[in-house]
Amino acid sequence: MSHSKNERSFVRLTKSQRIQHVILFVSTGLLILTGFMLMGERWVIEMFGSAGDTIFYWRGIVHRIAGVSVTLVCLYHLGYVVLQAEGRSWIKDMLPRMSDATFAVQNVSYMLGFREARPKMERFTYLEKVEYFSVYFGMFIVIVTGTMMWTEQYWPKFWLDIADTFHLGEATLAALAIIIGHIFSVHYNPHVYPMNKAFIDGKISESMMKEEHGLWYERELERLATEKAEATSEGNGDNA
Amino acid sequence: MKTKHTARDITVALFLLTAFLTLFIPAAAMAVDDENCLMCHKYAGLGRYAKNEEQKAVKRIFYVNEELFKASYHGKLRCKNCHTGVEEIPHTDVKNVDCATDCHLNDPSTGRAFSHKSIVNDLRKSAHGPDGTKKPDLIKDLPKCKDCHTNKPYQIGIGKELKSMQFIKVCLECHESEAWTNRFYKHMFYRAQTRRSSKQVVALCSKCHADKEKMDRHEVDVVIGFKDTFHGKAIVYGDEDVANCLNCHAPYQLGFSPHRIISHTDSSSPVHPDNKLRDCRQSGCHADAQEAFANKGKAHPSNVMTERVDEDGVTIYQEEQEFQAWVIEMIALFYKILIIAVVGGLGFHRLADLYATHRERKIALRAAKLGRHTS
Repeated sequence: MSHSKNERSFVRLTKSQRIQHVILFVSTGLLILTGFMLMGERWVIEMFGSAGDTIFYWRGIVHRIAGVSVTLVCLYHLGYVVLQAEGRSWIKDMLPRMSDATFAVQNVSYMLGFREARPKMERFTYLEKVEYFSVYFGMFIVIVTGTMMWTEQYWPKFWLDIADTFHLGEATLAALAIIIGHIFSVHYNPHVYPMNKAFIDGKISESMMKEEHGLWYERELERLATEKAEATSEGNGDNA
Repeated sequence: MKTKHTARDITVALFLLTAFLTLFIPAAAMAVDDENCLMCHKYAGLGRYAKNEEQKAVKRIFYVNEELFKASYHGKLRCKNCHTGVEEIPHTDVKNVDCATDCHLNDPSTGRAFSHKSIVNDLRKSAHGPDGTKKPDLIKDLPKCKDCHTNKPYQIGIGKELKSMQFIKVCLECHESEAWTNRFYKHMFYRAQTRRSSKQVVALCSKCHADKEKMDRHEVDVVIGFKDTFHGKAIVYGDEDVANCLNCHAPYQLGFSPHRIISHTDSSSPVHPDNKLRDCRQSGCHADAQEAFANKGKAHPSNVMTERVDEDGVTIYQEEQEFQAWVIEMIALFYKILIIAVVGGLGFHRLADLYATHRERKIALRAAKLGRHTS
């Protein structure tokens, strides 16, 4: 499905959202890398040779810096969805609804060939909502357990073992979900390959919006039309 | 007169013979080897195959490299100081070296004969010795001095490790004998260093303590989980600042020694519940550690499967450990199921999407073909 270059586009991600996303994925990437360095096989680690000690030291520092930055961006995001109009609109559209279940059933039946067309979906598809709230769930777990392990001296060792198990389990789940869910849908999806540029320029093309977020597209058109009408009426008022 | 002549002749003859024979002995050997052991033991091929206690064939090498021997800790000792009972040549079935033997060397700190006897006695009484073990009938399993002291006993290349031996010039300002000063200096320098890296310590202890069969035989917990702990992982990277086995089980800083390791159920053990907190806090490692950090849980999991009761008839540590292991296992299982479900679900969705795209393409192609035909 090719999209012409000079096609009309809509705002998918605002500047604030894009900045939050960049901080989130850079930190998460570093966290996954430096975290799983602890799970490396012995022979892999031994390839570092005498530099291993230094690498291990910086691994810990980088993991903590990235952990703090990801915590801060998550806290900021919580404030953002509560305090800012832009954020409130975001969370309002993100909240799961009964219709999401219907969309899921319809979309899956379309993909398997039991339906003629994809359902018209909202601003956020059911999969995007699942991904989004998985981040809440995951972040809650890794931040709490990570903080526990950072302040290890004050916790019973057994609680730390539990924290460690949760931290690793959640990290593994998140890393796999990001690779299989997110990276595939925004990079390897044939519709957007090699990548969905929305995270850079924040734009979504009209055709893609129509196809993947049909209801939102209609809603946006309506909103633009009313805005335009209001603007004209206001303009008329000024003139009068 | 005649007898006198004969005696002088014999003396002269012997002298000449000795002088002649001396030509065939390397000059260096003559200097230290007044016992003449190297006459045979200098030959690199000297050795034989023998059976050890377990009836396994082992290679026994009797070759002594003189240069290395002279540079070793024991290089100033005579062979027979340690290898006692060598009275005739050829000698067979000489007793094994006993490290508790008194040396014919004076300990400069006491003026008396130097000996490793006190350390040997400490070891005997420790959990690793015949007097301290729970299973006195399994003495052959217990570590001997040489089972641990396997590191290179040579002081060769110390100059390289030190980068320079320049400092010795300061010593030589007062101490006249260069050979003695050199030796003393190397000794002090060598002992001031950590003998083994943490990685080597873990490998050494694991030789027995990770051997389930052996540990079961001695009713000792087999250590299986250390490599998965943070300490274990840091050690693999070469971090020397985290605790290895000895830092907790025999911390020199707290007055313990690897030669005096005792069971953790003994109240004087550094890892006994009463002392664990002090153990964690030592050397500024976990300086603010709280009681629960030290005692509520294990520093490294061990798979304890045997029912065991200590002197007071209490088995709490073991039960707690099993419950804890179960909790950890359940959390891991929860994540395994969750991961399979999420990855499976996402994977299914992705494949279905690819299938849909494939169909869309086919339809688009057909439409394009149709379009061409109609136009």
